[in-house]
Amino acid sequence: MFTKSLVKGLTKFSFAELFIPLVVVASSSLWLSGRSTSLLLFIKFTLCYLMMVLSLQVFVGNSGVLSFGHGSFAMVGAFVSGLATAPLMIKQNAMALSNLWQPLVDFKLNLGMSLLASAFAGGVFAAFTGGFLMRLNGLAAGIATFALLGITYNILFNNNHVGPSNQALPGVSQFSNLTLPLVLVLLAMIMVYFYNLSRAGRTLRATREDNLASRGLGINIIRVRWMSFTFSGVLAGLAGAMYAHVGGAVQVQDYYLGFTFYTLAMLIVGGSASLWGAVLGTVVVSGVSQILLMWEQSSPVFGITIHLPIGTRAIVIAGMLVVILLWRPNGISNGSEIKLPNFLRKIKAS
Amino acid sequence: MSLGFAAEGLSKSFGALVVLNNVSLTIKPGETIGLLGPNGAGKTTLVNILTGYEQADLGSVTLDGQSFNTLPAHARAHNGLARTFQSGRLFSELTVAENIALGALSVGISSKVAEKRTAEILEILEISNLAENRANSISHGNARLVGLARAVVAEPKYLIMDEPAAGINEHETPTLLAALKTVSKTLGCGMLLVEHNVQLVLDFSSRIIVLATGNLIYDGKPEHALSDPAVKSAYLGEMSLNISNVSH
Repeated sequence: MFTKSLVKGLTKFSFAELFIPLVVVASSSLWLSGRSTSLLLFIKFTLCYLMMVLSLQVFVGNSGVLSFGHGSFAMVGAFVSGLATAPLMIKQNAMALSNLWQPLVDFKLNLGMSLLASAFAGGVFAAFTGGFLMRLNGLAAGIATFALLGITYNILFNNNHVGPSNQALPGVSQFSNLTLPLVLVLLAMIMVYFYNLSRAGRTLRATREDNLASRGLGINIIRVRWMSFTFSGVLAGLAGAMYAHVGGAVQVQDYYLGFTFYTLAMLIVGGSASLWGAVLGTVVVSGVSQILLMWEQSSPVFGITIHLPIGTRAIVIAGMLVVILLWRPNGISNGSEIKLPNFLRKIKAS
Repeated sequence: MSLGFAAEGLSKSFGALVVLNNVSLTIKPGETIGLLGPNGAGKTTLVNILTGYEQADLGSVTLDGQSFNTLPAHARAHNGLARTFQSGRLFSELTVAENIALGALSVGISSKVAEKRTAEILEILEISNLAENRANSISHGNARLVGLARAVVAEPKYLIMDEPAAGINEHETPTLLAALKTVSKTLGCGMLLVEHNVQLVLDFSSRIIVLATGNLIYDGKPEHALSDPAVKSAYLGEMSLNISNVSH
């Protein structure tokens, strides 16, 4: 992977393609989070969204199959991590948890272990459901994943034996600082980049381009999709758990339609076919969204105050999505990883 | 164990329409066979059944004695059977080199070996200059060569080509013929060329098979194919002029 190319044009490791997104995420997170408490919270939530968008990039970006179902894995991850870290006193006394299944009342893990458990739960859930869903193609696959989201949401929303049902689960351990969520996201970015370079990633991209030809070459489409779906389930489970540990609570509504739309918009705006696209989309949509939110609340941004009606944020993000789909369907990144600027490439070559 | 890629008694109907009727053929290792037939003869259906894209109603397909009947298309590729497609079907957003490398990666060849073989096949087919181009930016003729390279990069035992000359012009046909002969000579795989271009088939193949309305009507040497009464009759009205003009 790191040897000199025999032939140009192959998907190969490039230091810049990995290093630049890592530096952008790390430096902007550290710089912005140090400026105010509200920006620190904003960065923490953005890192959760980035984890979710990375999860979507692994599956949606590489397979070309639209998934509305990844919110399910985030819900499961959030519930696992939330229940594992919420204090026993809350689980025993909160009204919403009065019917909680006893093994879940006794379920207790530290923050690190709860994150691992949530990733595992997301992966297992994705592996199980993917065994059925990955047999479908195109529109049918997209609709089936939407059904999965609806099923998971309704089970968790209406069943108070496995969680707080339609209430919030309070008292979930919070990240004490930026280090853990940032490290998790950087590690996930590295894993996603290498997955995209791997045989599994490359053959999955071939199925995105031409399903029929892929079969003729020897690609087992169901298998490569299932592997990707499972890996993306791990990341989505982790994203859900991180979200819970940033907010300090778990509420199933947080991972439903709004969350699904918002994270898919990030992926599509940035460009679903690359790691750089996932990063760009998350940064741009989160940034625009935060600025509009502050103006909806009549707060100044860089000293400028604009009074916007409530709902402007959602309309603008939806509009951005339409504009991108119309005029730049491969997203801002045009589906490519970031390249070194020309002058740096020349220096490197010489 | 019989060596070769063999189809025995293949039959296929779509409703009342019989598309293939008891068709049998064998491709021996290294053999180059041309399959001719007028429109609607059942050529593409035969290719699809041989490569696992469709199931025959009756009959069997074996490779070196191993039954392929229940194997899906991707598993047949893993067992040494490759194919090209009538419309090329390249991965349009990927580069030429990536398209070819995927032919090797897809059957489990390591990235390092896939890269080496990609470089070799680009060199053999004299298309190294296209390696970095996106597949959707190259000419029809070159796309056919890339499709061929992608199919053979994994060094299959047998290769089935579905009308590789479709859509290419007469100036590009000699390049394609040269490429086919190079692949045959270099890799030594058994090849079945399904094609409308009679001259190309005659120039390339050591044996000719002719299908008409789902029936195999000729199986023999190229030099006798065009004078065969059944072949003449099958083509009469559609391609008789083309056939009579073919120089052999």
